[in-house]
Amino acid sequence: MKDKISWLSVRSLVRLEMRARFGSRVDMTAKAKASKALSIIFTLAIYAVLVTGIYYLAEMFVRRSHMPFEFLVVAMTFTVCVTTIVAIGNVVKNLYLSGDNELLLRFPVNGREILISKSIYCFLHNVVINLLIMIPLCVIYGVVSSAPVGYYFVAIAVTLLAIPLPYAIANLLAIPVMMIMNLVKNQFLLVLILLIAAICGVFILYMTALSGVLEYMRDESESMFSPAVMDIFRNFANSAYPFRWYALLLGGWFSGYGSQAAGLSFLYLFLITAALCVGAYFVTSRTYYQIILNGIETEKVSFQKKIPNIKRSVFGTLLHREFFLILRSFNYSFQYLAMAVAAPVMVYYCNDLAATMGKNTVGAAIVPGLTLLVIIIFSAIIVSFASTSISREGNAFYHTKIVPVSYTTQILAKLFLYGAVGTASVVLSTVVVAAAFGTDKAGNLLTSLDIGCIFIISQMITMALTCLAIAADVKSPTFNVVGDGEMVSANKNMVVSLLVGIVVAALFGVFTMVFSFLPLQVGDVVIVPAGEMNNIYAILAGISVVILAGSIAALFANLERRYQKIAP
Amino acid sequence: MLTVTNLRKVYPKSDRVAVDDISFELRPGEIFGFLGQNGAGKSTTIKCLTGILPFEGGTIEVCGYDIQKEPIKAKMNMGYVPDNHSVYEKLTGREYVNYVADLYRVSKADRTERLERYLDLFKLRFAIDKQIKAYSHGMKQKICIIAALIHEPKLWVLDEPMMGLDPQSTAEIIAYMREHCAKGNTVFFSSHNLDLVKRLCHRVAIINEGHLIDCFDLAGNEENKANLEERFFKITGTYEKRLFEDYVAQEQEEMRPDMPAPESDGAEEKASDGVTTEE
Repeated sequence: MKDKISWLSVRSLVRLEMRARFGSRVDMTAKAKASKALSIIFTLAIYAVLVTGIYYLAEMFVRRSHMPFEFLVVAMTFTVCVTTIVAIGNVVKNLYLSGDNELLLRFPVNGREILISKSIYCFLHNVVINLLIMIPLCVIYGVVSSAPVGYYFVAIAVTLLAIPLPYAIANLLAIPVMMIMNLVKNQFLLVLILLIAAICGVFILYMTALSGVLEYMRDESESMFSPAVMDIFRNFANSAYPFRWYALLLGGWFSGYGSQAAGLSFLYLFLITAALCVGAYFVTSRTYYQIILNGIETEKVSFQKKIPNIKRSVFGTLLHREFFLILRSFNYSFQYLAMAVAAPVMVYYCNDLAATMGKNTVGAAIVPGLTLLVIIIFSAIIVSFASTSISREGNAFYHTKIVPVSYTTQILAKLFLYGAVGTASVVLSTVVVAAAFGTDKAGNLLTSLDIGCIFIISQMITMALTCLAIAADVKSPTFNVVGDGEMVSANKNMVVSLLVGIVVAALFGVFTMVFSFLPLQVGDVVIVPAGEMNNIYAILAGISVVILAGSIAALFANLERRYQKIAP
Repeated sequence: MLTVTNLRKVYPKSDRVAVDDISFELRPGEIFGFLGQNGAGKSTTIKCLTGILPFEGGTIEVCGYDIQKEPIKAKMNMGYVPDNHSVYEKLTGREYVNYVADLYRVSKADRTERLERYLDLFKLRFAIDKQIKAYSHGMKQKICIIAALIHEPKLWVLDEPMMGLDPQSTAEIIAYMREHCAKGNTVFFSSHNLDLVKRLCHRVAIINEGHLIDCFDLAGNEENKANLEERFFKITGTYEKRLFEDYVAQEQEEMRPDMPAPESDGAEEKASDGVTTEE
C-alpha cells in the first residue's frame, strides 16, 4: 500500500471505468439509438415528476403555510439523506462489490491506484446526483419565495459545500454495510423478509406523500397543515442539525436570522465536512485493499446444508429446483418473491389513492374499474419475471435437453410455480381490496359481484400473461449470465411482457370504468345499458377466456419442436 | 448401444456444415474415443447425440431408441458429462444429485447406495453438502460425473472429461470407465490426449472439418496403436515430418531445457564461504 502512485495508471483506470460504464465510441444501430432515446425520455419524465413534486411542496410550505425556513430544513434533510443513501449504494457497488477488482489486481497497478480511479468515478456520480436534486430545489425555492439575486449566488456556494458530505459519510458507512452484507450473505429467508419490509415501507411513505400532494392540488383553498402539524415542522426545523445550518446558510439571511447565524453555519458545516472527508480518506485508504482482497478470497463462500436423500416426483423435483434457484438469489428474490408478497400492499395504497381521487371527481362507480386496472398492473409486474424462466437456466440450459423429461413437463412445472405465485398475489390483493372497499364502513364501493368478478378476470389474465411471458422466452431466450449463473440483466422479453400486461390492464380498466357510466351500444342498438356491471363483467370474462386459451395455445402448441430448436 | 447414421448438422445462420454424413456404431462393453482438432465437430456430434442440438439429417439411436422420435427413452439410457461442467451452482452437491436422480426415477435405496459409493470413489464426501458454487473446477467435474452415473446409464458420454483434473481424479475416472464397461456398458468420450486414448480405448474415430475420416480398432491391434499419432496428424492435415518426429521424440525424451548456470555474486560467495567454514 505504500507504493508510489502512478497518475498515468490512475488515468488509464478511470478511462477504463468510463468506457465500461458508457461504452466505447462505436457506431450504434438505429434500434439501439431508439432504445437509448426512449430510455432517456423515460428518465426525463420521471425527473419531471420529481421536480413538479418539489414545486408543489415548496408552494405548500412557502406560499400557503408561510414556513419558508421550515421548508428549507425539510428539503435539505431530504436531499442529504437521499444523496447519502444513493452514495452508499454507489460506493458499495463500485468500490467493494465491483466484479473487476480481481481482474485489475492482475495488472501492474496497486490497490491505491484502483481506489483513486474508482473513487473519481464514484465522486463524479455523487456530484451529478447532488446537482440533479439541489439545482431544482434551490431554483424553485428562489422563485416561490421571491428571493433576491444574491440568494442564487449563495445557492451555488451551498450546493458546492453540500456535495462532499454525503460522499464522505457514504465512504465511512460503506464498511459496516459491507460487514452486514457478509453476515446475511446466506440468510435467504431473512433477506427476503427484510426486502419485503423495505419495499412496503418505501411504498407506503411514497404513497402517503403523493396522497398529501394530490389532496393539496385538489383543494388549494383548504388549509394545508393543521396548527399541530405546523408546530411539529417548526420544532423539527429548530433542532434538525446539521440540516438547519444548510437552511440558515441558504435562506436564513433573508428570512430574519441575520448574517452571524449564516456565518456560524458555514463554519460548522465546513468543519464537519472537512473532518468527515479526512476521516473517510484515512479509513478507506487503510482498509480498502484488505476488504477487496477479503472479498475476492470469500467470493466463493457458500452455505452448507445437510439433508437426507429425498425422492420426489419428477414434477415435484422440477418445482423444488426452480423455487430454490429463485430464493437463493438476492437479485431474483427481490425481483420476484418480494414484489409478489408486497403487491397486495401496493394494490391497496394505489387503489385507495385512485379511488379517492376518482370518486371525488367522477363518482364511486369508477372504483371497480380502477381496482381491476390496479390488480392487473401489479400482476403484470410480477409475472413478467416468468419471461426469463428459460434464460435464467444460463449455462446449465443443456441440462433441460439431456434429462429424460419432456419439455412440456418442464415448462408445466415453471408455469405452475409462476402461476401459483401470481394466483396467491391476486387472491391476497382481492381480499385486501374487499376488506378495504367492500364494507359498509367504506361505503360498499365494491359489491360481492364486483369482488368475485374482479378476482376471476384478474386470475385469468394473470395466467394468460404468465403463459405469454414463458412463450416469449421459449421463442428468444438470452443466456447472458455472470458469476454463479445469474442473468446479467433483464432481457427484452421482460419489457415486452410488462408492456402487454399494462396495455391489457388499461383496456380492461378503462372499459369497466367507461361502461359503468355509459351504455355500450353499436349504432342505435344498446348492447349493455349503462351501469349493468354483471353484463360488463360477462363481456370481460369472455374476452379473458379467449385471451387465456390463445396464450395457452401460444405456449404449448408445437412446444417440443420449438424447444428442441433452442441452441445454447 | 449407439448407432449414428449419416448425421448432418448445420447451425442456423451459418453456411458451414458443422457435421456432415457421419456414421458409426458403438458396441456394448467398449470404450470409444472420439478425436479431432478444435472445431472439427466433436462437441457438435456429442450435443446431437445427447439431444442438446437438433440436426437436419440422419438418425441417432441409443439402445435402439431414436433420439428424435423417442427422446425420453433414449435419454433414460444415457449419462452425459459436459466439457464446461455447468451445473445449478446454487444447489448443494447432494441436492443436485437428488434432483438428477429424481428425473431419472432412481429409487431412494439405489441412489443412496450409489451416491455413497461414488463419494468415496471420487473423494467428494467432504463437499457434497456444500453449495456447488464453492466447488473447484475439478470438484464440479466430479459432481457432473456422479450425477451422470447416478442412474447407471448404459451409454456414458463424456466431452473432454480429463480437462483440468488432477492426476488422482484422472486415474479414478479411467478406472471407473473400465469398471463401467466391464458391466457391459459403453463409454464414448472425446479427447485431445492421444496417449490416453491409445491406452484406454477399444476403438477410435477421427473427425476432421465435420467429416468422419477414420474409425479403427486399438484393442489388440498394436500397429494401429503405434500409428495413432501419425494417422491423427495426417488426417487433420497437420502432419509435418519434422513436427511429427519432434512429437514422437518428445514422448520419449526429457523436454526440460538446461537452466543457465547461476551467476556468482558476493552473497553467494559469502554463503559458500560459510558452508566451507562449517565443513
